[in-house]
Amino acid sequence: MTKKMTILVKLFGDLAKKISKQKSPKSPTNAEISIEGIERVSDVLKKFLIEESETSHIFVNGVYSGFTKKVSDGDRVGIFAGNQALLYKWYFTRVED
Amino acid sequence: MPKRMLRVNMNKLEATFEDYPQDYMALGGRSLTSTIVANEVPPLCHPLGPNNKLVFAPGIVTGTSAPSSGRISVGAKSPLTGGIKEANAGTTFGQRLARLQIAAIIVEGKHEGNDYYLLKITNNGTELINANKWAGKGLYQVHKDLFKEFGAKISVSSCGIAAELLGTASGVCFNDPEGLPSRYAGRGGLGAVMASKGLKFIVVDDAGAPGVEIKNPEVFKQGAKKLTDALMSHDVTKPGGALNTYGTGVLVNIINEAGGLPQRNFSSGQDDRSENISGEKKAEEIKKRGGVRPHFCNPGCVIQCSEVWTKPGGKDPVGVLEYESVWAFGANCSIYNLDDVGELIRACDDLGLDTIEMGNAIAVSMEGGLIKFGDAKGALKLMEEIRKKTPTGRILANGTAFTGKAMGVTRVPVVKNQALPAYDPRAIKGIGVTYATTPMGADHTAGYAIATEIMGVGGTADPKDTKKAELSRNLQLATAVIDAAGYCLFTAFAVLDIPEGLVGMVESVNGVLGINLTVNDIAGVGKSIIDTELKFNKAAGFTSADDRLPEFFLKEPLPPHNEVFDVPDDELDSVF
Repeated sequence: MTKKMTILVKLFGDLAKKISKQKSPKSPTNAEISIEGIERVSDVLKKFLIEESETSHIFVNGVYSGFTKKVSDGDRVGIFAGNQALLYKWYFTRVED
Repeated sequence: MPKRMLRVNMNKLEATFEDYPQDYMALGGRSLTSTIVANEVPPLCHPLGPNNKLVFAPGIVTGTSAPSSGRISVGAKSPLTGGIKEANAGTTFGQRLARLQIAAIIVEGKHEGNDYYLLKITNNGTELINANKWAGKGLYQVHKDLFKEFGAKISVSSCGIAAELLGTASGVCFNDPEGLPSRYAGRGGLGAVMASKGLKFIVVDDAGAPGVEIKNPEVFKQGAKKLTDALMSHDVTKPGGALNTYGTGVLVNIINEAGGLPQRNFSSGQDDRSENISGEKKAEEIKKRGGVRPHFCNPGCVIQCSEVWTKPGGKDPVGVLEYESVWAFGANCSIYNLDDVGELIRACDDLGLDTIEMGNAIAVSMEGGLIKFGDAKGALKLMEEIRKKTPTGRILANGTAFTGKAMGVTRVPVVKNQALPAYDPRAIKGIGVTYATTPMGADHTAGYAIATEIMGVGGTADPKDTKKAELSRNLQLATAVIDAAGYCLFTAFAVLDIPEGLVGMVESVNGVLGINLTVNDIAGVGKSIIDTELKFNKAAGFTSADDRLPEFFLKEPLPPHNEVFDVPDDELDSVF
């Protein structure tokens, strides 16, 4: 049997509410989703119906990342809500692909 | 009434007002405590002997209407680090002192007997009162008693049972707006210095006080407005922003995601159980059970990151659960329950202990096998050993390094004998440079590189890049100035990003002092403060060998990034 290819998505703050709309969450902030149709962080946002403007910090495997950062099987993507922002936008240097 | 200093001689039990020296006119907060300590304390003296002095100084703008400016600095030679120390707190105490035109209290000498004293300061004068009836008791009860005895409109500074033991993990406590003993100039064992002199409490009543003299009100008003505007618009500091909504605990999940939240005595940088002690969880619980959030530590703060945490049902308020405190007893001890962590923080506040030092001491004692990681009840029992003044309690009350030696533990996270705060320097290297090089011993507030490395405030920096000397130096210089001005360090988030806010901060200082500093002068002012501190430490015997992290940070990779601290020694030595 082939192992299902997934990524772990963690949604923090007000974004955690979006997880309740997904099936079988393991915790209030965690969702394991299939990698199918997911190439970049922006695809993860679409999957959870999250607008870019609703986010602040994004980490992919502990690396501060932007919307075009590629994600792959086994990755961990942490997304923080807009009111958890701790920076000003023009100083952002996010890792993108 | 001109600005003055209050000198308290504990040998003679005399408190005398002195003229404020002309040379000190542009000083306040940290710049004043460090200058007085450097000028008056022999660097080689025993920190708990008669030649050390304990200095309290409100910031330059403290007591005015400038936003988020209610800070008080406390300075001395530290019994923990052996070097110069400044620790500060947000509290009404500094505001009242400033309104009484008292630029500094200098406590010197050492009471010969076994009595403890309370210093009462009012607009009419001072009085030293025997305080033995409040000694040996927890500070929650004592603060209640003091407010009952001296009235509701006072501020209190105190040291606790740990300080009576001369424990070098003891802090100097101040009341929060509810009177709770939850605001601390916690670091460096300054509580032990206070108790060593026979001084247990200071009560300040500013009824009838003249207020802070503002030499140029127009410039001050203009500056305060610019700074307020910056604080009210910056994402970190504005109403409904990160600090206001979640408190400093908003960092738990962020630093955990970054892989830099130390777990289990600095053995990993990430554990998903940390979510159970996060700022989000805390805010949700306060909403459910009662307590207060948001909340200010002193009137006039527009950031309002504080809170009042309680037991379930809104009972038995603890006060604030800061990020570093929650981390120290939570993730670092593998205790992932906010009620347990809250009770451990309550024990610290009650006993008069620095939460960072004690959380690390408990984690090290866990590593040494005294109790198991995650054993919250066991940890609380260990705190009670301090209350009972048992040998184990005396060891713990002397902090992390002392506990490590007693337990035979070699993985001991300290610099200059002071325990590391809640950011692992292997994952976030700039903060490691600050830990290593600040004259204060491991202290995140001395140059908060996290803001730049993780949060992108004031520029950006790759957290894994080892070229961090310039970043750390610039942040340390800026921090020294903010600590002198009396502003909360969180104002840095806004002023490092919004140029007009920084101009406003400088103008507010100019307005109070009647001087004409510019933004370009900030680095020079900061450098003069740190040079004073470095000179004291050098005379006390410090060398570049003291500006290093413990060996295990260089050898043990930290999951999940599996990084070691690899900033070269010459990079560390180039900071100052």
